[in-house]
Amino acid sequence: MPAGIKKPGIHPDKLLLGIIGLCVIVPLILFLVFPIVIVFLKSFQVGDGNWGLANYTTTMVEKHFWVVVWNSLWLTVNVTVVSVLLGFVFAYAIQRSQMPGKRIFTIVAMLPMFAPSLLQALGLVFLLGRNGIINRWLGLDIEIYGFWGVFIADVIYAFPQAFMILSAAFAVADSRPYEAARMLGANKRQIFFDVTLPGIKFGLISSIFLVFTITITDFGNPMVIGGNFSVLATEIYNQVSGQMNFNLGSVISIILLIPVVIAFAIERFAGRKQEAFIPDNVNPLVPKKNAMLDTCMFTYSSILCGIIVLVVAIVVYASFVKLWPYNMSFTLNNYKFDSQGGYDPLITSVIVSLMAAFIGVVLVFGSAYVVNKSKNVIVDLLNFFSILPAAIPGMVLGLAYIFFFNDPSNPLNILYGTVFILTINSVYHYFAQGFLTASTSLQQISSNFDETSACLGANLFTTIKRVTLPILLPSILSVAVFFFMRTMVTLAAVIFLVSPSVNLAAVSVMLLDDAGNTTQAAAYSTLIILVVLIALLFLNLVLKLFKVKTKSLIS
Amino acid sequence: MCEISTFRKRLFAIILGVMLFVNPLANAGEITIYSSLEDDEIADFLKVARKDLPGVKINVLRLSTGDLGARILAEKESPKHDIIWGWAATNMINPEIMAMLEPYQAKGSEQLADKFKDPGNKWFAATGYMAAFCVNTDRLQKKGLPMPTSWEDLLDPAYKGELIMPNPNSSGTGYLQIASILQSRGEEKGWEYLEALDANMGQYIKSGSKPCKLTRAGEYSVGASFAFIAMKSIKEGYPLKMVIPSEGAGFELEATALMASSKNKEDAKKFLDWTLSPAAAELYAKFKAIISVPGVEPAPEAKAAGLPADVSKVLFDLDFAESAKNRARILKTWREKLER
Repeated sequence: MPAGIKKPGIHPDKLLLGIIGLCVIVPLILFLVFPIVIVFLKSFQVGDGNWGLANYTTTMVEKHFWVVVWNSLWLTVNVTVVSVLLGFVFAYAIQRSQMPGKRIFTIVAMLPMFAPSLLQALGLVFLLGRNGIINRWLGLDIEIYGFWGVFIADVIYAFPQAFMILSAAFAVADSRPYEAARMLGANKRQIFFDVTLPGIKFGLISSIFLVFTITITDFGNPMVIGGNFSVLATEIYNQVSGQMNFNLGSVISIILLIPVVIAFAIERFAGRKQEAFIPDNVNPLVPKKNAMLDTCMFTYSSILCGIIVLVVAIVVYASFVKLWPYNMSFTLNNYKFDSQGGYDPLITSVIVSLMAAFIGVVLVFGSAYVVNKSKNVIVDLLNFFSILPAAIPGMVLGLAYIFFFNDPSNPLNILYGTVFILTINSVYHYFAQGFLTASTSLQQISSNFDETSACLGANLFTTIKRVTLPILLPSILSVAVFFFMRTMVTLAAVIFLVSPSVNLAAVSVMLLDDAGNTTQAAAYSTLIILVVLIALLFLNLVLKLFKVKTKSLIS
Repeated sequence: MCEISTFRKRLFAIILGVMLFVNPLANAGEITIYSSLEDDEIADFLKVARKDLPGVKINVLRLSTGDLGARILAEKESPKHDIIWGWAATNMINPEIMAMLEPYQAKGSEQLADKFKDPGNKWFAATGYMAAFCVNTDRLQKKGLPMPTSWEDLLDPAYKGELIMPNPNSSGTGYLQIASILQSRGEEKGWEYLEALDANMGQYIKSGSKPCKLTRAGEYSVGASFAFIAMKSIKEGYPLKMVIPSEGAGFELEATALMASSKNKEDAKKFLDWTLSPAAAELYAKFKAIISVPGVEPAPEAKAAGLPADVSKVLFDLDFAESAKNRARILKTWREKLER
């Protein structure tokens, strides 16, 4: 085409953006929106073919329901405040101090994400249970079941995820505002409040939102260590599993959505004013040595990581024990899994997790890219649906998938009972977190890059390939590993979707624990941790091999 | 270019291969079974069943009673299984479930007493499980508590906070325990008792085996659970004693049924016949507190744990129809009175 002559019509860049948009929106509607709409409809279904509010009214007259709502909110607020604070200071220590052992601390802090959430509760019971190590040793009678048990377990569960987001926010910083502030005579306090905090504002708000939603929807921890302390997520289990009451279960799911949607609205509102805060020519901030700060941060990180190591180590230890807590002699018998398909579920989990990592990255970055690059109603909807999964308890999503995919009139019925449905389920279960990470890192790339690239004559495709992707590579790999890790450990969403021939590792852990084989469950958890660690080492190796410089968390 | 197309071809072949490999449709000679039997039992049963039924590929999904019910109902538009094996009879006689079953008179079912099978031949129960207390002797001694012998004993304030039982809303065992208490004492007295017991209860927990599991690990002194897990724990060496409440133990039948939707009824029926065969009965003796197949001697573990030779003497004769019919109402009352 001769230069200077442009055909009227759609600009190819817009077309490409549109195609990417279509490729992420269609599956999002098929695999998230439709199933969830069906759960929504079920909540209004009374008997066969009748509609009404009866499910809601019967739920809300029970006094117990309001107790559960209060429990959920109280627990979630406390866990959110504590784990975001812990994560904030820890991320600061990792990114802004010169304390030794940062790599080790980072890996240890992520340990809770390497295993099914059952693990924290198991570890806490081994440690702090009524007959746990600490009570036996000190002759105490600490009661862990109930609010405190769930609180501690959920803080350990949520802390790494808050840390991940905050650390990413701290990691990308320009040293010049700090220098400028110092030259203008600002003291440390002023620098912290006027430079540091505004710089990570978006990350802070995202982490509060994330911790709030994953805590209020967590099922594993309250299940194991909650005792008489019921929360909304366990209430769904009671309604569906014990009473086979799908309609009421869907009512509670819908009610569970309310606080999360509010949190979501606040996050969006606060995030709207956020500007790209990373200038194009970044002077990376290199933290200076500060003996006082470094010592404090080292002590703090040691205590925090010490607790995490203790909880995980006790589970690993128990997996080699004959008869906890009465016969502590060493044995490998717990690793001879004679039931639950032996090692098969572990292999299936690895396959499903690899597929989820690949598909997840493509879809998540596609969505984040479209959302960050254009503004219209459809994009707003895409944004909303991309974050919605954070508000959907795994169990609800699992049930929604049964309703939707096990309907013979649905052509997608062919997926039911295969590894594909497990993969897709995991992708959309963890979509929001992946999307937020992708979005955060995309937001931190100034649009000037694109403009410059466009001025130099590059089209959108070239810009993506030459500019965006290389900058994003570390985030892409983090998100891939995130999907892999979460899929390896996901439980509630898949419990209704596994089939006799296609079972997953985390479900095996739960079933082993359910059957009373606690130490075998500990052994299976240990294997899952091992697989995830191997995957991380492998990733590290690949990064080194290709000499990718990365500020990413995980590597 | 050539490389890419080869790669694509390979990728396509792999995807196709995977899709065929995980094809969910049942092939001839393959049956899928949903079960709530204990894991270890299933593993042992299948070893023998696969030997006795060569040419039939058997897939089993094991879920707890409540989870399995939820799954079967959720899948009712297009069931994935051919057989329900060893599932609570109280749940089986739910009309919604019964509508999915096909009558079949399995070989050997004629020897079963009437109470162990459906009059319309939609299900039969070769085995059952009974409620029992798990008592941790180590903890009992440390706390200086007396050995309980009955539900009534558990009202002793000394046990405050030391008891644990399943939540009947999620656990089949939990429901059978309170159903037997309500039937044996009459509803009014029964609820009075349960409310008094509540004062001592440390936890209502979601699953039926958990009370025993937590008790054997020394977390609580007495766990209201079922006999199988108690006997198994004793055999494994935990400081545990099994106590059958002197009021009579509630029990539940493990019912087996053929799905009307099965696409491989021929093989499914072979399996149903097998569950009543002498080879299977021999295995029941190893695990089961209640065996309906006549002429089976209970296992040494059962005797060692203190199970009487004739269990029918210690069972409370639960009315299943009644207990199934009142399920929703009883659970609602339980939630109003006792849910925490």
